[in-house]
Amino acid sequence: MRRSDLGEFEEIVLLAVAALAPGAYSVSIAEELEKETGQTMSTGAVHAALQRLEQKGYLTSHLGEATQERGGRRKRLFTVTAYGGKILHEARTVRNSLWNRITPAELSKMGLDFSNS
Amino acid sequence: MQPLPPRWLDKLANRICAPHLREELLGDLYERYALRHHRVGARKANWFFLREVTALLRPSIMKRKPSPYASPSALNSEMLRNYFKIGSRVLLKNSRYSLIHLTGLSIGLWTCMMVATVVIDSLSYDKQWSRKDDIYRIVTVNKMGKDLSERNSSSPMGLAPELQKNYAEVESWSTLSSSELHFKIRPEDGDGINTNLLSADTAVSRLLDLKLLTGSLKHSTQKHWNLLVTRSYATRIFPGQDPVGKIIYDIPTFSAEPTPYEITGLIDDLPYNSHLRADAIRLEAPKPEPLLNNGVMSFGRNYILLKRGTDVGEFTKRVNAWYARFTKNNNREQFEFQPLKEVYLHSDFAEGQSVKASIRTIYIFAGVALLLLFIACVNFVNLSTAKAFARVKEAGVRKILSGSRTQLVMQLLTETLLLFGISIGIAVFAYCLTLRPVEDFLGHRLVVTFTSNILMAGGALLMFFLTALLTGLYPAWVISGFKPANTLRGIFTASLGQTGLRKTLVVAQFSISIIVLLATIGVWQQFDLMKNKELGYDKNNLIGIEQISWNGKGDAFKNELQRIPGVVRSSLAMWMPTEGGGYMQREVPDPAHAGRRLRVWYVAGDVDLPTTLGLKLVKGRMFSNRFADALDADSLQKEGFEKFEKAQINQNSLMTASAAKMLGIKQLDVQTQNAHSVPVGIVGDFHNESLYEPMKPTFILAEKSPEYAGMLIRIQPGTEMQVAVGVRKLWKQFFPEKLLQINNIEEQITKQYEAESKLHELFLFFSGLTMFLSALGIFGLVVQAAEQRAKEVGIRKVLGASVAGIVGLISKDFVKLVVIAIVVASPLAWYALQKWLESYPYRTTIDWWVFVATGFAALVVTIGTVSFQAIRAATADPVRSLRNE
Repeated sequence: MRRSDLGEFEEIVLLAVAALAPGAYSVSIAEELEKETGQTMSTGAVHAALQRLEQKGYLTSHLGEATQERGGRRKRLFTVTAYGGKILHEARTVRNSLWNRITPAELSKMGLDFSNS
Repeated sequence: MQPLPPRWLDKLANRICAPHLREELLGDLYERYALRHHRVGARKANWFFLREVTALLRPSIMKRKPSPYASPSALNSEMLRNYFKIGSRVLLKNSRYSLIHLTGLSIGLWTCMMVATVVIDSLSYDKQWSRKDDIYRIVTVNKMGKDLSERNSSSPMGLAPELQKNYAEVESWSTLSSSELHFKIRPEDGDGINTNLLSADTAVSRLLDLKLLTGSLKHSTQKHWNLLVTRSYATRIFPGQDPVGKIIYDIPTFSAEPTPYEITGLIDDLPYNSHLRADAIRLEAPKPEPLLNNGVMSFGRNYILLKRGTDVGEFTKRVNAWYARFTKNNNREQFEFQPLKEVYLHSDFAEGQSVKASIRTIYIFAGVALLLLFIACVNFVNLSTAKAFARVKEAGVRKILSGSRTQLVMQLLTETLLLFGISIGIAVFAYCLTLRPVEDFLGHRLVVTFTSNILMAGGALLMFFLTALLTGLYPAWVISGFKPANTLRGIFTASLGQTGLRKTLVVAQFSISIIVLLATIGVWQQFDLMKNKELGYDKNNLIGIEQISWNGKGDAFKNELQRIPGVVRSSLAMWMPTEGGGYMQREVPDPAHAGRRLRVWYVAGDVDLPTTLGLKLVKGRMFSNRFADALDADSLQKEGFEKFEKAQINQNSLMTASAAKMLGIKQLDVQTQNAHSVPVGIVGDFHNESLYEPMKPTFILAEKSPEYAGMLIRIQPGTEMQVAVGVRKLWKQFFPEKLLQINNIEEQITKQYEAESKLHELFLFFSGLTMFLSALGIFGLVVQAAEQRAKEVGIRKVLGASVAGIVGLISKDFVKLVVIAIVVASPLAWYALQKWLESYPYRTTIDWWVFVATGFAALVVTIGTVSFQAIRAATADPVRSLRNE
């Protein structure tokens, strides 16, 4: 399995695209991430990540409609490709299997006891 | 109303963002701005927007999409070949302009190389010793009053050993002095072999790096003087033999017999670029003198070696504090420690140091050479941009055929580099040819040159390459910047608006040349003043024999001398013009300023000295044999110091008018404390020192046939050769084994001002060059203007304009610029000259006519250059220029 070419930020952006489908574009993603993480997120950073993801084939894009607040400019809307979905799934599987392997005793030592909640 | 981000930030974002991303990205930015504006208000939204814009600074956003119609890279080999081909064709086609460029640049580059060599060579002095940072020369600072001090390169002989005893910082010390000797190796070398001799004690090997080849560095034989000879000197005197152990004899001056020197060691050559330049070293055993506080001290040039890392400033302070306590004399004498590295360039005060240069002159010339290069480069820029109109059509066509701007710039830069390359070739060739003459002019060898030092040559090439790039970049940028559509339609008046810059550059050029020209005149006037100033004695028709010991035959020689036809008068003199201010000096309190001290000079000779010099009597009487004027100093000195001193106080003397005034001596024939003698007459002031020094009070004493003296001979005009022959013949009879050095006193006096003379010659040379280059530049501009305005001139002529009118039309612009340059340059030059003259006590005044004459000369040069071309343009047949195209 090769997933070394999916950075952490990229993974989050990819996930956000999937979550926001079909209206995923830089602004909505950045705003969403800002809301989720509580940190300011520059459009440029998000855009750069989207560009990379598209280059890798995890995303496709098309130009959407123009709005007034965009100064009459069109937006670029992104959707996750099947390949991108597979990569996301793989990433999730790896995480899940690792999470599952943590013994409850270890979890409680970390202060992360889920058994009661 | 839709909120909008600040305009400048919007523009900036537009600039940063690649065109193919602008639609989506800037839309995104706007949208977020609107959102934030809604949420947090305009101020914060603007702030966020700024952050957003800075966040755009990433390669993936900034990178422009390559054009689908790519042109070949501006640097591939085919293009490079093409640049060269087109470049050389352009240069050949415009051979006239190329020639102007080549001349200007070659001269500029050559001068720069030459001056850089001289500067770098001067800076290299004494930098090669391994302990160069720790060796200092002790300089005595003599306080003559408040803010009035004299510096002297010698210091009390007892000081250095005392310092070594008291301070742990002092590692070693040595007394070094340079002199010239003549060794007679074989009977046939008549005047002997001139040898630069360094006298030192054996501690010298601890200070300087002496590489011993054979023999020893110790003081090995007690019988004779010990001599270390350098390798090249040894091959000169004993080719192919081992010199160690040989005994050689000098030609005596002060001793009766030749002195034997035993060569005890052979060392590697001493560096030539050192103020301690020498062929041989005379070694002595170190003999530290005790430092006494009784006013009687002998002085010498002492060098000390401090431990590595000593803080000299602090050390100096401690030494001076200690010395003030030691002498209890209220800081009248203080010491400075002059770093060895600075001795060559910073020793204006050091009399008797023959190997030195002035940092000021070095600065002046480095500055002038840089200005010259500037003028040459300005010529290039001006002519290139002026020629731009001829190239913009070419540039337009190239652009339409999909040539990129980079390619155009590269093309034009290649032409510049070609021109510079050829100029460098010419300059290097000229440099190699002129190195020798320049060395002759300077009077010393240049050790560090571009041909001897590969590193320097590389540096120079790099510098030239950078200069070429800088010079070529601007015209290339201008020419390649035109919009092709406009250039082809013939619209470039607006874009050729850099005439303002061109005019400024012309004014700058001419200002520089006028300043240099004014400096030339100023220096010449000063030199002329120093050379021709009335000295108070008659320096013409005076010859001198340098000081020797007369072996008691002085008077006899003088009597015989008087019989040589042409000799008017002669005198055994213990002081000769150009040998400092006198044979002895005293310091006396200044009667006019309490707390200050005056230096008083004493000049001595036999009773004929004042009349031989041609001094004018003002009051009292001259020396005469009828009175007991002459003191038998030599025999009195043998009898004892006190007796001699007493006789000296009561000795008759003559004083100069300024001595009488400055010391406040009103009465003659009375023993006076300040005079330390009995003044019997007042003579007119005379300059016993060079004109670098203000006149000081001077006394003249008479001595009976002094043993150590020179001879001054007053001759009839035009008999110099005849007298010299007579003297030589007489000399052979009296002193067959002694060296005879005859000088013309006037020549000696002029030689004192060699620095000014050289400065003047150099300025003459440079002013010629700067003027020539400026004229060349303006000539190029006129040629270009005439070409560009050929049609206009044609139409004017058809409509009946006169030749004079057209010449005036073309010349007017340039003459105006030169007039501005004159106005700018004159006050600057005046100020600079005043600054330069400040250091001379006797200085020339720069009259107004100098400025008028210089301005006039500059105008004549300009009008001459301009009208040469303008008349050609004005007399051309208008039909040809109008039918063109």
